[in-house]
Amino acid sequence: MRVTKGARIVASAALLAIAVAACGSGASGSGDSAAGGGDDTPVRMELGEPQKLLFPQDTTESEGAEVLAALFDPLVTYNDKKEPVEEAAESITTDDSKVWTIKLKPGYTWHDGTPVKAADYARAWNFAALQDNAMSSSFFFGRVDGYDDVHPGEGKTPTAKEMKGLKVVDDNTLEVTLNAPFSQFKTMLGYTAFYPLPEKAIGADGKLSQEYGENPIGQGLFKMDKPYKKGTDTAIDLSVYDKFPGKKPAGWTKLQFKIYTSSETAWNDLQADNLDIHDSLPPTAIGTAKTLLGDRFKQEPDAGVGYIGVPLAYNKEWQNADLRKAVSMAIDRKTITETVFSGAMTPADDFINPAIQGNRPGICTACTYNPAEAKKLYEANNGPKSIDLGYNADGGHKEWIEAVANNLRANLGVEVKTQPFEKFQGILDALDAKEFKGLFRMGWAIDYPSPENYLTPIFGTGSIGTGSNYGGYSNKEFDETVAKGDQATDPAEGLKFYQQADDILLKDLPYIPVYFYRLNYGYSTKINNVKVNLLNQVEWADVTKA
Amino acid sequence: MGRYVIRRLIQAIPVLIGATLLIYCIVFALPGDPIAGLFGDKRPDPAIAEVLREQYHLNDPLLLQYWYYISGVIFRGDFGVNFANVPVSQIMAGKFQVTLNLAVTALVMEAIIGVGLGLWAALRRGKAADTLILAATLLLISVPTLVTGFVLQLVLGVKLKQWTGADIFPVAGTTEGLRSYLVPGFVLAGVSIAYLTRLTRTSLAETLRSDYIRTATAKGLPRRRVVGRHALRNALIPLVTYLGADLGQLMGGAVITETIFNLQGIGNQLFTSVHLREQPVVVGVVTILVLVYILANMIVDLLYAVLDPRIRYE
Repeated sequence: MRVTKGARIVASAALLAIAVAACGSGASGSGDSAAGGGDDTPVRMELGEPQKLLFPQDTTESEGAEVLAALFDPLVTYNDKKEPVEEAAESITTDDSKVWTIKLKPGYTWHDGTPVKAADYARAWNFAALQDNAMSSSFFFGRVDGYDDVHPGEGKTPTAKEMKGLKVVDDNTLEVTLNAPFSQFKTMLGYTAFYPLPEKAIGADGKLSQEYGENPIGQGLFKMDKPYKKGTDTAIDLSVYDKFPGKKPAGWTKLQFKIYTSSETAWNDLQADNLDIHDSLPPTAIGTAKTLLGDRFKQEPDAGVGYIGVPLAYNKEWQNADLRKAVSMAIDRKTITETVFSGAMTPADDFINPAIQGNRPGICTACTYNPAEAKKLYEANNGPKSIDLGYNADGGHKEWIEAVANNLRANLGVEVKTQPFEKFQGILDALDAKEFKGLFRMGWAIDYPSPENYLTPIFGTGSIGTGSNYGGYSNKEFDETVAKGDQATDPAEGLKFYQQADDILLKDLPYIPVYFYRLNYGYSTKINNVKVNLLNQVEWADVTKA
Repeated sequence: MGRYVIRRLIQAIPVLIGATLLIYCIVFALPGDPIAGLFGDKRPDPAIAEVLREQYHLNDPLLLQYWYYISGVIFRGDFGVNFANVPVSQIMAGKFQVTLNLAVTALVMEAIIGVGLGLWAALRRGKAADTLILAATLLLISVPTLVTGFVLQLVLGVKLKQWTGADIFPVAGTTEGLRSYLVPGFVLAGVSIAYLTRLTRTSLAETLRSDYIRTATAKGLPRRRVVGRHALRNALIPLVTYLGADLGQLMGGAVITETIFNLQGIGNQLFTSVHLREQPVVVGVVTILVLVYILANMIVDLLYAVLDPRIRYE
């Protein structure tokens, strides 16, 4: 046999195989291109790929939470005054902020038709809290009595499967006992971690079933059209659940989350009318979005804060509050937010973000740019001649950190060395190992929309080590004031104490707040009435088709 | 011939095993704790981090971890799971499809445009067309993919639709079948088109000057036949070599193009997984890419024999 003939057959067969493989599936793509007119065209929303499968108790990032918020109805939502109001709950009551009675609103059913019961909530919360399940939202239940039994800490075995503070009174009533009074508990209940779970979510082996994570059954406005195959699917399709007892959108029934890897691309898709809502417009697009979208471009406060962190417990040089004040006054927040962030952020002027109750605009006097005063104060207190400034290089922080470094160089006359770390965790490790003693970039996104969330987790003495108090700030007066707020039985009274605690932070300046995040979103001409709630989730029932 | 192919395939086995071990070690050696990385800017709860480490065998020594992985692959055909507990085989199946579509589109464009332009330039050597083509290739080589990608997306995707109202080139995504891949395919192929044009021109120009071409012309063969049958066939050998090596490059190195056009393919997946230190994903993807390289090279070698009858494999 002549070699060339055989070779020719093999080679062409192989080429054909590649070509067939390539074409074969082109046609079998997700095929949502057929845009029928009228109500069947979905409202299309931008989404980044969810980090995990769709398990409410294992979702602590915004993208997965956005999808889950469409599938589930939370116990509370937030009104215009940023206060929690009952949604899936009939009433949430307490006399002492320690024992809370949650009565469920009747009429809710799971997407498979079975009624939602109080036990479904208890199941979900117990599952999340149990250490062996390694749910990322576990810490939300830390205030429930009995959490220590199910979540005793590293290297220890849980002594119980369920928290003793969680009691199912009847099908519609749940009683939650906390380990200490906490006035903000009701506010927490709107978050993803507090959604209920149906019985079938947990498999025979006691783990969350993979099948459920791909095709979650919720009790909310939308249900899944088909399972979400993570890694393969580029869209998640939902449609309105007919038996949902709450408000439904008028005139449309289908919702599609389109998964993008780049927010610039999504912005181009919005301009070409291939996308309806984009809620994370890139800073580069904000200028054009204003002119192109007009009223359909919105900017609202987002609850995140960007700080310069101070390693109080690690570096004696920074223990003088006046030095921190001098650094704070040397930072030109207005220019940084307007130029480096192209207006995507706003200058910080408090420890509590304006998206949340309790913010007092302009209360942070040391946050006002005042280079002359800064230099005087810095020199009078004999500040260090050289400052290290660490940041994590994976989150787009280089630019603003360099801008801060330039401010400090110019206004304090010091040498500033910026030091990139691969990830944020790298900075913390270096601080622990005493390899790095400089200032560092820090950011905070809230867990639940309460002013308390800007205080205890970041600055409380109890949050050193296990929480997010990375600088090691510890102030007894602060801890006591926050505790008074926690114990309050009246929300307004609680807020008063939290603001007093905020005053202590403003005096001590354990971290230097630099900017507040802002939500920059835009929508297409095909829809109207887009509103985004405190948790940055679209209020779908209000959206109308144009 | 058959024996040759089998021998080549057997040779691939140690290469594959070596590659997986090497990649596994490299990902293992990356700094930072993969579990901490999952929690972003927050310090993970130590108890939960511990449970997760146990679950993903991260506390075990490197070789034991590798054994868990490779024994799963060999004995159970199980490529492991990523940190979201999604099977790697599912991720790879979806993403390789997108990448393969993109790479083949790019390869076909390269072959047609690159060889076509090169042929034209070689036949019009020294004339205006030749100079123009050379200048155009220089431009293609010097503009980065990032720029061509964004510009073409904006002009062909967004603006063209706004001007004409017709959706000719989709802005992004894979929902429009072959049409989705035209612009990204061109962007990805851009630099290779330029190289291939130049390669074809040089190779063909050289062949056209050789003795056997003069003989063919002298014995009165029509020019078409001289160029097509005698010159081009010989000149194709370096081009096939280039195309073969390029296939692997197009599949694994398309991160920028994939990101701009929202094609969720293997390049992007590799980028994210290296960042997250998801060993099973990285190893699985790289192994398949190694396999693609091996197969592409084998096909190239076999094509040599088709193009040049003097080459035989026994």
